[in-house]
Amino acid sequence: MRKYFSRFLFLGVVVLTSCFGKEPLNTECDIEVASVHVENPAEVFHHEYDTLKVVNSASDNIVFLIRSYENVAQLPLSLRITQGATAYILNEDGSAEKFRNGSLVDFSNEKTWKFRIVSEDKAWSRVYSIKVAHDYPTEGDFCLDFENYALDATGKYYEWSITDANVANVFTDAKWKNGNPGYKLSKSSAKPMEYPSVPLVGEGPDGSACVKLETKDTGSFGSMVNMRLASGSMFNGIFDVSNALKDALRATRFGSPFAHKPVKMTVWLKYEPGATFQNRLGKPVEGVIDEPDAYVVFYRNQDEAGNEVMIDGTDMFTNPYIMGIGRLSHNLNEDGSDKMGDTPIHGLNSQWKLVEIPLVYTKEVDQDILANKGYSLAISFASSWQGGNFQGAIGSKLYIDNVSVYCDKDEY
Amino acid sequence: MMNKMRYILAMVVLLSATVMQGQDSWEKWGPTKGMNGAGVVVRAGYTLGGTSPIPLPKEVRSINTFAPKGGATIGVDVYKMFCKRWGASVGWHFFYEGFHTSADVKNYKMSLTMDGNTMSGYFTGTDVTNTDMWGMTMPVMATLRMSPRWNFSFGPYLSTYFKRNFSGEVYDNKDGIGYLRVDDPTGEKVNIDRNNPATYDFSDNMLQWNVGLEFCFDWKACRHMNVFGKLDWGMTNIWERDFDAVAFKMYPIYATIGLAYRY
Repeated sequence: MRKYFSRFLFLGVVVLTSCFGKEPLNTECDIEVASVHVENPAEVFHHEYDTLKVVNSASDNIVFLIRSYENVAQLPLSLRITQGATAYILNEDGSAEKFRNGSLVDFSNEKTWKFRIVSEDKAWSRVYSIKVAHDYPTEGDFCLDFENYALDATGKYYEWSITDANVANVFTDAKWKNGNPGYKLSKSSAKPMEYPSVPLVGEGPDGSACVKLETKDTGSFGSMVNMRLASGSMFNGIFDVSNALKDALRATRFGSPFAHKPVKMTVWLKYEPGATFQNRLGKPVEGVIDEPDAYVVFYRNQDEAGNEVMIDGTDMFTNPYIMGIGRLSHNLNEDGSDKMGDTPIHGLNSQWKLVEIPLVYTKEVDQDILANKGYSLAISFASSWQGGNFQGAIGSKLYIDNVSVYCDKDEY
Repeated sequence: MMNKMRYILAMVVLLSATVMQGQDSWEKWGPTKGMNGAGVVVRAGYTLGGTSPIPLPKEVRSINTFAPKGGATIGVDVYKMFCKRWGASVGWHFFYEGFHTSADVKNYKMSLTMDGNTMSGYFTGTDVTNTDMWGMTMPVMATLRMSPRWNFSFGPYLSTYFKRNFSGEVYDNKDGIGYLRVDDPTGEKVNIDRNNPATYDFSDNMLQWNVGLEFCFDWKACRHMNVFGKLDWGMTNIWERDFDAVAFKMYPIYATIGLAYRY
């Protein structure tokens, strides 16, 4: 009876509203995937998968990295764009030409091309830059001092660029990544200095700028999605904001190809744990003191089938392609997993300390693979070591400065 | 019982002029005290319905489930007949009503503000909503005696809510598509799936009052007992004026069938 009645009632509503209106046209205008075609990808690129770029929804800059001694000219380019959208290639004189997939584009001399994607409903558009750049060889050792920071394009939070050409390619988009873009979504009212990762002028051990990572409450929106805190973080790799809600651990992807074998990282650190450690539900956990994390991981970045391998928040210490790991000292369970407790062994306190973190290798590094950028280097810091699972103490602060990575000098 | 109720419902809906009226006397089925007398009707009924945008916005692509929760109404009407056919009534009806719906939406504009933080954008995916309302409706109606045993009443009503709930969650649809474009369609794309849906609760943004029209049919089953069917159609938006998380106006539409006792 109830069923019939409700059907009847609903039918009434639908009849009154003359069914569903015509489906609205798509409003989005993204390049989702870009790919170039070459006859001999393994020779031109370091990895065959480098011919295809999955484009992050927030990114409008697509760079294909080729080997330093290679050159390309006219390459067929294919773009996968939002359904119904139209792609235009913008000429230097400002004119736009409809772009057909597979058309030849002159990518010689690192020439940058602009593409405009117009949505199906014609109301929205985005402009992308696409180029093919050389991946020049770099020296092994490097030091990063966090002196180059600026507000992001929206003016909401700070981001740190790598200006040293020697290291720039070890950082996707030549930038340190962190959770700030995610925090922006949950706390739109936050001022730049209220974000989890912020610069501190003149407070480094050498009197220059350093970075403060602080575990922050994500407010009502964070609770809405059961992510009540955001650990301050700094790493090289990709932070995929698009999937930060869906699968936060996998949205944090660490590392970039690196042609040297790192042996140790040194870094200046100081740490103040927050008062109360809380679990994912926001409930206090007795007998647990928050701890920071700092680690460096070296891993094989391609599987046997030639697919890209990138470690993420689920497997940064357990991925089978890992060659060696260096990590701040922690209590661990017998199976190697993190053991939370109230007796941390990291040895950090509120005074600056130069910490040396050696890499321990469990596999032999192959020199040929190394020279061909078949390994990736990941560097990562967090103010709450369990922050990936949204556990930690709000107010935990990790200060970082002068990260140095030292490489094996006998490598060639 | 079920068949009879269905039958009655059909009668109500079709506005049928009954063939029985010829044999029935106006006096026999009239008010208890003469043709222009006054009286009281006590009503109890089963309420079903929903709160919906009208017309359905084009952003709503399909309704997966629409399941009114069984509601209830009890109330009393005081009436006065002015002549053989016309009269008036006022009523106080207490009700509980609610519904559950799941709809697929595309580019559904939304904006949420909580604790001074705003998240806005366009959502594509599945939106599940639960609504519950406890309150009181006060109709003021004109009554037309269409026949000795059939009354039709209509008029405006004012509802007030004692307790309201409008909450739900958004996640991916059956094709696995569920995302928010932050701020506008070129903004960051934030995927949302059913394993970690985004929940919302707009209960506090619902207005305390609603004004609408009530239509009620009474069929006099025996000397003191009516079977009735009524429809309450809300004419005012359920949302506060400055509320913009839901980009369109929504109206409560609830129907009741039940029994009434005439004094």
